[in-house]
Amino acid sequence: MDKNDKAKRQEVIETEVTMGTVHPAALEPYRVRLFVEDEIVRDAEITVGLNHRGIERIMEGLPVEKANSLTEKICGICSNSHIWNSVMVAEKGLEIEIPERASYIRIIMGELERLHSHLLYLAHGNEVLGHETFAMRLFFIRETVMELLRMIGGNRVQYGCSIIGGVRPRCELDLMRIQKLNEGMDIIEEKIGQFADRFVSDPIVMSRITGVGVLTKKDALRLAATGPTLRSTGVDMDLRRDMEIYDPFDFDIITQQDGDVKANLLMRVLEIPESIKIIRQAVKNIPSGPITDRSWEMQDTGIIKSYIEVPRGKLLHSYALEEGRVRGSIVRTPSITNIAAMQHACIGNHISDAQLAIVQCDPCFTCTDRAIKITKIEI
Amino acid sequence: MEASTIIYSTAAVIGTLIVALFVGLWLPGIERKFIHARIQQRVGPPLSSPGFMAPLKFFFKETIVPNSPLPRLYNALPLIGLLSVFFILLFLIPQMYFLGALTSLMAIIGLLKIEELVYVFMGSLSNSIMSLSMPFPDVVKGAKHPNVPKAFLENLSAMRAFRLIAFGSFPLYIAILVPAVMTGSIFLNDIVNYQQVNGPVLFTLAGTLGAVVFFIGYMILLNEYPFAILKTKADVIEGPYMEYASKYRAYVYITRGFLMFTLGALFSVLFLGLPPNILSWSILINIAVAVIFPIFMAVFSAFSPIFTFKQFYPVVTGISLLGVLAMVVAFF
Amino acid sequence: MSIKSYSRARAVHAMLVYTGGCNGCDIEIVNTVLSPKFDIEQYKIFLTWNPREADVLIVTGPVTKHNEKPLKEIYDAIPEPKAVIAAGACALMGGVYKNIHGDIPSEEIAGPVEEVIPVDAKVPGCAVRPQDVLAGAVAALPKLLGAK
Repeated sequence: MDKNDKAKRQEVIETEVTMGTVHPAALEPYRVRLFVEDEIVRDAEITVGLNHRGIERIMEGLPVEKANSLTEKICGICSNSHIWNSVMVAEKGLEIEIPERASYIRIIMGELERLHSHLLYLAHGNEVLGHETFAMRLFFIRETVMELLRMIGGNRVQYGCSIIGGVRPRCELDLMRIQKLNEGMDIIEEKIGQFADRFVSDPIVMSRITGVGVLTKKDALRLAATGPTLRSTGVDMDLRRDMEIYDPFDFDIITQQDGDVKANLLMRVLEIPESIKIIRQAVKNIPSGPITDRSWEMQDTGIIKSYIEVPRGKLLHSYALEEGRVRGSIVRTPSITNIAAMQHACIGNHISDAQLAIVQCDPCFTCTDRAIKITKIEI
Repeated sequence: MEASTIIYSTAAVIGTLIVALFVGLWLPGIERKFIHARIQQRVGPPLSSPGFMAPLKFFFKETIVPNSPLPRLYNALPLIGLLSVFFILLFLIPQMYFLGALTSLMAIIGLLKIEELVYVFMGSLSNSIMSLSMPFPDVVKGAKHPNVPKAFLENLSAMRAFRLIAFGSFPLYIAILVPAVMTGSIFLNDIVNYQQVNGPVLFTLAGTLGAVVFFIGYMILLNEYPFAILKTKADVIEGPYMEYASKYRAYVYITRGFLMFTLGALFSVLFLGLPPNILSWSILINIAVAVIFPIFMAVFSAFSPIFTFKQFYPVVTGISLLGVLAMVVAFF
Repeated sequence: MSIKSYSRARAVHAMLVYTGGCNGCDIEIVNTVLSPKFDIEQYKIFLTWNPREADVLIVTGPVTKHNEKPLKEIYDAIPEPKAVIAAGACALMGGVYKNIHGDIPSEEIAGPVEEVIPVDAKVPGCAVRPQDVLAGAVAALPKLLGAK
């Protein structure tokens, strides 16, 4: 019995509604089972693993350079983060100091990727919300970022920017590219400002997203949510603060208190200017010098771990090097715990809002699904 | 009655219906190209594609048996919808006013109810591959709640359609009754005659309020975007229409354009006093109303997200209260 | 041009099925080709999520084992005439996921798409470029238009 001496209402699960494996809300193959009572979700079950390609097993025994570029194929949204972190593992193990200019270029790429990922998230969120116009506007802003990424990386999705010891020569930032970066940042800042004004002052959108898919601070910590999903519940945790490479930059870490869809969407809207700030500083203060250090030597290492902050949260890459080959690779992406948290967050919402609640953590099932089966690797 | 009158009337009725069908086919294109695409800052599809060429294309596709417990009934449903809309328009044409009770507002409301009810049947009869019957390799075998009955996504939208019948169409019906209250008659003939003597209902206070309410009801009946809970892409994909293919899907497309025109014509009969009649120049006003309404609707739908029931109930309640206010004003 | 092929060319409904892979092609198609910059709708191609409505099936990804059956079922659900576009390196030949094993067959990948359903147009690239997707859709058109 409750404190109010009121009998708790019996929750009756009437029907099971299944969405997936092909469903427009999240394009990727996954399955969500919603146990509903009168269109209100009482329990949810998200099945991942339909997209499993076994990429860690493919990486086993490959030369480290090859394996690094393979990590890029884990995910098409945060591809740069994967190769960045994977390269950082090798650099940590082989104790390579990368040139300062290279680390600046990596940060520019990382932040550009955060911009594109966040814009994609916002647009997709609006699409699930049913607001086609906002989605289209955001896709239009995103194209500016994609053009910049293509200019630096040479491809719209797989940039292959980082290599062991620095960045690829084709990713060198010459004056023309720096100028274009500056111009692009101005455009994005202006447009995202306009969008933010429109978005926050739209009463219908706000009523639709406020209080939907609430994840409490306690639950977020218990379910090990990471990244913006965790920060939206009020926990001030961002690995960028602990990464040495980010030391010269001045930026704020955004937190929100509510943990609902509104907090999550606003998180991203507010993080975009911070990323722009970082890129501006990097472009302004970029030191001259070489961008690749080729003077390193291969040696065997033990298992090395590296954590970085990617657009979705905390990313782990870990492997050992043996005769220049990768052994026992493990990747842990942020989405897996975030999706588990969302399974909790969508309870108590209307079915239409349940998809929104799942999408609010920016789920990337491709990232998640590479690591489902391979838990035991003997090294 | 003279023979020439009969011929004229028949020609007028058939001509009006053909014009309505033809105009209705262009409305989705106007909506998509000139409003949605312009607002979204893109070029958008050609004018004829969404409404005119798409149904035409579906006529040339292979006819398949839908995944449905009652495939033939399921396939017949869009025709029933189309027929009910057809009859509404038929009864709006002045040459048909001799039919008496059939040309009253009650008959029109009844036919609109059929149009709404069709969705419930459609939803409960459709078993699409995209929902429950999607093959899924269940490695784990089992769920948190194993013995729960499973529902197709379309069943969900059938339930929603049922709810919409219960409350969603209040605004439209209240708005339809405002001119009736003003005129003191539910017969279209009287309503038209009243307006020809006293000027259009639209330009009175009650009529203006009623027009606003009518517009919201129009959007709800057409399941246009903010009120499209019946067919939200994010959960039920396409809702009741999921299994329609080939020519049956074409009927669904045509019904929508036709319904847009018919409701526009209904508005001009009730609020402007101008029945659709091919033999009079006032048909241009009918067409204008039929074009302007979707344009307004498209502007609204481009700027708002889908309403769940949480937003739906207050909107419908508020608008219905406005309609009641209009009726009260109309009494005085 | 007969009215049949004219109407088919003026309204093409495309459905996307994403069957694994890295998500890159998928985003390039749904979120870029449909965005205001490229706007595939001006070329009379509309996105749909319903196989019954679709004419063209765009498949991305190497078809993981779990996705093989859904892909087949969706293909069967599309009424004739229909065309299939395989987009991206994974869809064409399994991409890095299938081929990097060398002689060892992959347990996870059932693809490439050709081995599961017949393919009419192929769009190369990792990830596909938006312009190429448009070109691929055009390449699939003759099959649609010429069908009975």
